[in-house]
Formats: sequence, C-alpha cells, structure tokens
Amino acid sequence: MAVKKDYKDQQLAEKLRDRKYYIPDSNPEFIKDVEKIGQTAAHMCYQCGTCTGSCPSAPRSSYRIRLFMRKAVLGLEEEILTDPDLWLCTTCYSCTDRCPRDLAPTDAIMAMRNLAARRDIVPRNFLQTVQLIYKSGHGVPNNDANRAARKKLGLDEEPETTHKYPEYLPGIRKIIDHYGLKDRADKILAEGE
Amino acid sequence: MSGNNHQYAFFLGCIAPNRYPGIEAAAIRTSKNVGIDLLPLKGASCCPAPGAFGSIDLNIWYAMAARNVVLAEQMGMDITLICNGCYKSIYEVNEKLKHNDELRDGVNEVLKEIDMEFKGSVDVWHLAELYYDPEIVGVKKIADSVKRPLTGAKIAVHYGCHLMKPGKERHFGDTENPMWIEELVAALGAEPVQYRNKMQCCGAGGGVRGYDLAHALDITNEKLINLQEVGADALTEVCPFCQLQYDRGQVEIQDKFGITWGLPVLHYNELLGLAQGMSPDELALDLHAIDVEPFLKKIL
Repeated sequence: MAVKKDYKDQQLAEKLRDRKYYIPDSNPEFIKDVEKIGQTAAHMCYQCGTCTGSCPSAPRSSYRIRLFMRKAVLGLEEEILTDPDLWLCTTCYSCTDRCPRDLAPTDAIMAMRNLAARRDIVPRNFLQTVQLIYKSGHGVPNNDANRAARKKLGLDEEPETTHKYPEYLPGIRKIIDHYGLKDRADKILAEGE
Repeated sequence: MSGNNHQYAFFLGCIAPNRYPGIEAAAIRTSKNVGIDLLPLKGASCCPAPGAFGSIDLNIWYAMAARNVVLAEQMGMDITLICNGCYKSIYEVNEKLKHNDELRDGVNEVLKEIDMEFKGSVDVWHLAELYYDPEIVGVKKIADSVKRPLTGAKIAVHYGCHLMKPGKERHFGDTENPMWIEELVAALGAEPVQYRNKMQCCGAGGGVRGYDLAHALDITNEKLINLQEVGADALTEVCPFCQLQYDRGQVEIQDKFGITWGLPVLHYNELLGLAQGMSPDELALDLHAIDVEPFLKKIL
C-alpha cells in the first residue's frame, strides 16, 4: 500500500498541504503585479541560477537576480522593494538571453523597480534624469563647451532636437504631467535634501 | 548624386550630439558616402533612457518613446540611430506598440492630449545594421568607401547590450559570439581582435552609472583588463553611452582605483570617418577624455 508522504511536524504538514499558504508578511498578489508589468511568467522560474551566473553585477556585490526571482514568487514584497541591490541591475539582458525557461528576469527587475517607485522608493539619479528631460527634453543636455565644439565641426550649435525646437517641449511636459511624474520627482528629491 | 540614396529620419539621442558631436558629424558624412541620407528628426527628445526612465514607470517610457516614433511617422520615414540605448527605447517600444493592442491604446490615449497618434507605420534600425545589410549598404560598399585603410591597427569590438539582447526580441542571430561588427571593422583595413567576455556589459546601463559609479567602473575595469590582454590598440563600439563609460570611465578609474589604461575608444562612425579620410579635427577627437593620438600614430 502506498504511504502518503508527509512531514512529521503536523502543523507544518497542514500548512504545506494548503497551496494557498503564505508566510504572514508575504503578498500573494505581488508576483502577479511583477508578471503583468514585466510581461514575463516569473513564477515559472526553477531557480537554476543561470541568471546570477551570467550577471556582471553579481561578482562585485550582494545583488543576486536568482534571489529576487525567488522572493518575488514568495511574495516578499517588503524585502524586495526596500533592498538597495534592486538598483544594481545594469539591464544587460544576459540573464534573459540565457534563461532556459525563456523568462525575462531583467524585465522582472524592471517591474519590481516600477513597483518600488510607486511607493516613492527611487534612487536620486533616476529622478534627476526625469527633471532634466522635463526641462530640456534631454537626459544629457547640451552645454557651452559642446556648443563651441559643434560649431567648429560645422554643425549647428543646437542639435535638431528639442534643443533647437523648444516648441516641442510643452508636448513632452504634458506626457510627463499626465502621470504626475515631475511633481513626484520634485517632491521625493526635496524630501531627501 | 544623392538622388538614389536611402533616406532615414536620424534620431540623435543625447550623448552623441551633446557630448561627442564628432559621432553625429561623422555619421552624416560617412553615411552619405555609402548611399544613406540622414535627415533631421526635428523636435526629437531623449529616447528616453531605458534604464533611468523605464525603471520608474514603463508606461511613461512607452509614451515618451512613442512620441519620437510618431515624429518619424509624420515624415513618412524609417528611423535610424547610432546608440544602443536609443535602440532599445525606440526600436523596442515601436515593436511592442505594433503588436500589443492594449499597450498601443493606452499610449494613444496619452498622445491624444498632444494631438498625436501612434500608427505603427515605420521601422527602426541601428545605423550599424544598415551598414552590414547588403540590401542597403553591405560590407563591400563600406570597404570600397575607404580612402585611408586603418592598416596595422588591432581593434576590439564592444557590441554593447541593448542592440542585440534580448536575442529573442531582436533579429541579429547569435548573441554569445557575434562577428558582424568585426566584419565591418575588417572592411576598414584594421585587424579585429577577440577578447575574453566580449559580450559583457560596459557597466553603465540600468541607471547604475548614476546610482553606484564605483560598481559600474569595476565592471568596465574588468573589460579593460581583458582588452589589454590581447593588446588592442583601440576599442570600437556603436553606442555613445558605452563610449562615455569607457572613455570618461578610464579617467574615473584612474581617480578611484589608481589604475591607468589609456585605451582609445572610438565609435564605429568615428573609425569609418578616419578611414574615409576625415581628419581628427573634423571628428572632434580632442573631446575624448582618453588621448586618441597613440592610435592615430598607428594608422596615419
């Protein structure tokens, strides 16, 4: 007669038989949000570690993409969104290229960053880029030394972008304002001062 | 005559026009020599930076990139560009919106506020892939345009990440050991050299350069170690952001880690400009943080 496999600890066995069991500080909805924003079936990850093995950030930090993937499945939202390592992914997509489950761990990270940003957890440099683009249309704007160099090259001092045609800026600002992002960036950066 | 030339809307991005304008000048001139006219994409903005902007809210990234694509749609012209970061934003958003109705409708709702609509009527190309494509230019035509071969120079290629990866969302074939840019380098008369971990990231992407500079530089430094091992005279790439990370990064590595490399870093269009006979002044090579002179001595 077949013996039913079970754990000796009856309480644990109960919990593990309950497929809806989550540890108290986990959020079962979290992985769904990650999958929707990242457009990748992150729960399919079988933790082989090809991602961490391919990651240029892993050898020089405590950032582990495999760990983030697992924590996302476990719904450890708080731990993930407050972890400074979340921002050490260079988005090189090596993990995504090599994933044997055909997942996109990079896009899962992007999704988790989006979810962190919804709670105003964003490193300053990301928000400063938003401010720069709002102001000039460029994340890396022109400057006087560069204008002089452009002139010497026979180019116009301002490139054929929003720099030369600032009449396009209101449209860009409208898009950013549609999401209230400029105000949020200003607010978060001011609070951090 | 430029009457039969291929015409593209030229998306500039930020770092080429605003930090290395020689790349912009070279792209326009060198492309004309091989039958491509680059026309200004008036009013374009930052792509916007896929790491810095996309990390905060992908929806805004889609909408902002879509606005740039719509400018080209209004010209009725495909886009070409010279930066891998721009390629990720402009190419990928264009493809996503073409094939995902829900995303497209969401973006168009926002674009409606500025009287724009994404139609999905144009394609996006990296200039380097147009150079390689025999239907457009091809390696032979590149070789034929060379007036001053870069003979004797050993040049390593940094492909960067966002042009070819993730491979399943692109069309470049092998992403582990590609060789097509080496073919473009060999067409200039130079000797392409292979090095360990060629496809590793420069370290700058995903907002990491701004978030943790030492971390980003440590990745760059690993690549510089591998490049020195094979005795490369110069590194070439097709991404001004990678160029910035390698070029200015070497100065930062000197400051932070006390390591001196002195490896000249040139965008492929700058190399092509030199090979087609443009002078270092016409390419503003003096704006490079790392002196290009040792490399020029080798080839001029």
